[in-house]
Amino acid sequence: MTQRNIRNFSIIAHIDHGKSTLADRFLEHTGALEAREMEAQVLDSMDLERERGITIKAHPVRLTYTADDGQTYILNLIDTPGHVDFGYEVTRSLSACEGALLLVDASQGVEAQTLANAYLAIDHSLEIIPVINKIDLPSAQPEEARRQIEEIVGLDGDTAILASAKEGLGVHDILEAVVKRLPSPGGDPQAPLKALIFDSWYDAYRGVVIVVRVLEGTIRTGTKVRLMNAAQDYEVEQLGVFTPKPVVIGALGPGEVGFVACGIKRVLDAQIGDTVTETARPTAAPFPGFKALKPMVFAGLYPVESHQYSELREALEKLRLNDAAFFFEPETSVALGFGFRCGFLGLLHMEIVQERLEREFNMDLVTTAPGVLYRVTTTDGAVTEIDSPAKLPDVGTIAKIEEPVITATVLTPSEFVGPILQLCQDKRGVQKALEYKASDRVLITYELPFNEVVLDFYDRMKTISRGYASLDYAVTGYWTSPLVKLDIMVNGEAVDALSVIVHRDRAYDRGRQLAAKMRELIPRQMFEIAIQAAIGSRIIARESVKALRKNVLAKCYGGDISRKRKLLEKQKEGKKRMKRVGRVEIPQEAFLAVLKVGEDG
Amino acid sequence: MAAPATTADRAADELMPAGLYLHIPFCEAICHYCNFTRGVLDEAVKSAYVSALVTDISRAPERGAEVETIFLGGGTPSVLSPAELARILDACRGHFGVAHDAEVTLEANPESASLERLEGYRAAGVNRLSFGVQSLDDRELARLGRLHSAARARQAVDEARRAGFSNISLDLMLWLPEQRTDDWHRSVDAVIEVAPSHASMYLLEVYPNAPLREEMMRRQWSVAPDEEAADMYLEGLSRFEAAGYRHYEISNVARPGFESRHNRLYWTGGHWLGFGCGAHSTWHGRRWRVMPGTGDYIRAVSESRPVRLDIRDVPPTEQLEEALFMGLRLTEGVDLQAIRERWGVDVLARYGDDLAPFLEEGLVQVTTSGRLRLTRNGMLVANEIMVAFIGDAVQ
Repeated sequence: MTQRNIRNFSIIAHIDHGKSTLADRFLEHTGALEAREMEAQVLDSMDLERERGITIKAHPVRLTYTADDGQTYILNLIDTPGHVDFGYEVTRSLSACEGALLLVDASQGVEAQTLANAYLAIDHSLEIIPVINKIDLPSAQPEEARRQIEEIVGLDGDTAILASAKEGLGVHDILEAVVKRLPSPGGDPQAPLKALIFDSWYDAYRGVVIVVRVLEGTIRTGTKVRLMNAAQDYEVEQLGVFTPKPVVIGALGPGEVGFVACGIKRVLDAQIGDTVTETARPTAAPFPGFKALKPMVFAGLYPVESHQYSELREALEKLRLNDAAFFFEPETSVALGFGFRCGFLGLLHMEIVQERLEREFNMDLVTTAPGVLYRVTTTDGAVTEIDSPAKLPDVGTIAKIEEPVITATVLTPSEFVGPILQLCQDKRGVQKALEYKASDRVLITYELPFNEVVLDFYDRMKTISRGYASLDYAVTGYWTSPLVKLDIMVNGEAVDALSVIVHRDRAYDRGRQLAAKMRELIPRQMFEIAIQAAIGSRIIARESVKALRKNVLAKCYGGDISRKRKLLEKQKEGKKRMKRVGRVEIPQEAFLAVLKVGEDG
Repeated sequence: MAAPATTADRAADELMPAGLYLHIPFCEAICHYCNFTRGVLDEAVKSAYVSALVTDISRAPERGAEVETIFLGGGTPSVLSPAELARILDACRGHFGVAHDAEVTLEANPESASLERLEGYRAAGVNRLSFGVQSLDDRELARLGRLHSAARARQAVDEARRAGFSNISLDLMLWLPEQRTDDWHRSVDAVIEVAPSHASMYLLEVYPNAPLREEMMRRQWSVAPDEEAADMYLEGLSRFEAAGYRHYEISNVARPGFESRHNRLYWTGGHWLGFGCGAHSTWHGRRWRVMPGTGDYIRAVSESRPVRLDIRDVPPTEQLEEALFMGLRLTEGVDLQAIRERWGVDVLARYGDDLAPFLEEGLVQVTTSGRLRLTRNGMLVANEIMVAFIGDAVQ
């Protein structure tokens, strides 16, 4: 197989636009897997991903395709994560490709994230083949999608291929286009090795497995290699490709994509974006653009039952083996006891970690409100990064607080522009641009405090646009803001795990809403419970939960004591899921109440 | 393993009184709120059921056991003819050592009572009637889908007296749809005027799938707020007490000497054998239930197949927990010294942390005579308190 017959490409698509189904059709069409032996959507390997219809990481697949020209091609399908939390991983995946399929849902049209990723692909000089999918749906408007590809993305709409991955329509045309329209990779097989890591995971048997795209030179089993950024040397133990089953091979040349096992112990040592070269004959410069993944959103994770602390730590350690972007360190809360402050790339990443802990590790967790990384300058000139409201220094010693700012792009049908602009203003945003891309589509660019977005921006945007507006963002800087710590006191005691950092002008409203929400969430107990919101020593809102006066006085009929016992056991289970703070039992969801305050208005 | 550890304990356990519970799963109509094992009356099925019940009783391996109470519950046991009832009670007396002064209770619906019938029951050996009147307000009864009126209920009590019954209990419900404080007070006063020897008051619990729930939504019926319901309960008790009744259990009041002996078995760790479909038994540390289906039960008995399901020995820790959470239903509470002697457990030491907030709020108290008891406010939130005694569920 010559380099000329290799094509490396990825699929850019919005969640639910049919990426996984199309990938499955490729496998079927190229005979990589018989339709029968294939579980639906083989590429999404984790259950969680499949359930949510989102792919975080899928293995690259090597397809062997005999084209209409009679030649056999190797097509490497490289997956890109489908969510804004994983933007950096997208850029690395695109760097491993010469081309991309831009998959657009024929009834939904182009969405903000598709647009953002399409621009990224264009920036990486990728050749793009637009594909209009789901043309079988009654609501399909392929001509509208074509127009949007032309007017919004700026690609030639006439070159778009009409397809229905579900029905298998257009699959052959797409594969032919990949062969004909995408360039073959360059690179000198004799040059010093330069390979880009674009995925890695922990394997219990082989240690960390990395996935590379060879750019220059050749990697062979037994080669001594160096990870340039990590500055660590290893010996290649195993090389292979996914067909999608892993198949071991002896060497990977320029343009090829495959996995490498070389005894790396932690995914942290093999970060995405790092460059692999030969130890003995290193390449002149690493592949540009490496950056260590940095968590942006932080929350406290606590076991509901304190004896599960060490189990939680083990679970977090296991997750971290496979997730370089995930960060945790021990944290103690007066209210919640021993737990961990955890850092995530974004909210989805946080939800995924939470769900995996609960599902795979059977942990019962209390999660505190997510926040961002603040930069605090104290009066002595020192600058510290604060990932938790509890770590905010004494007000008197703070010179200034800076908060991370994102540049957000919202793509919306024009009818929702007004409410979305209003929302952005409410969220303390600064408008950067407003472009009418097509007659009915508007691209809004705003700078927004990341904290506001973490709280409830996305949900509210979806609500006011009836689901039509889409969002993409990246953290682009810091602002100095008048931020204050808002405390919630329950029966006179400040509950540290409920504190949040908010903008001074919003503190009063937030406090009031938060106290009201807590009143709803805390069930009546044997005594009256006072809930107060406070800034420093100033109480800004009060609520109370009246004492429970009665529950049901049921008959214990005909001596059925087992039933009575079951009722009491159920009640006890309910109590166990609460955290006792002083004498008050606080349900888990109350610690996330701050996320819910916007919902009522 | 289930029986208490020492011979002394065993002796204490043996001394606890015993009773029989007989389940009659038929009703003339299904109440809108009911969740018990029952079906609408069919004469042929009823007749077959009575035969099955008699056969089941006469085959019980506990032959000869001494019992002090018999309770016929349902369903509506008053759908039985006096002759059927006599057959059943004769079977009990033929197989068990039924005490000559045994309490024999029959649950009855006011609408199915008549002087003749009640006289027949009395002749068959019934000496206590428990009427499910629920309310003495016709509008409330109609909302519950009950067939009788308040007048009919009064008449039934009158007929019962004429038939020779002096031990009569009336069931009252509170927290009924649309029932407000004044309505409740009127019902309580009306019951006091009828002057039964015993009365029960329960809060209506509307099960998720009860037709009443749907009807309440459709008709937009509401129930009193919690605060008001709590006060209704307390005021009801006060009125009964003022009229000479003693509040002896969370939901029960009685004139002195007329407390339910059968129900006391449940609250004080006694023994009872349940017969008939869906009946529960707790017998010397062992527990089981009878298969729930009426037809299944009749067939199983006629084919001589076992009808007892889920037979298990109750572990001592569970027995202790039950002694506490059932015992706390009684106004007198539980005797801490007796618990210590029987189970070797210091209740206040073991459960003190969990009980502290309740003690502090005056919901639970330890009397000078060394009893742990719920106060009246505590009784309103009894479940919250009883949870303290529940060990972690066995997974």
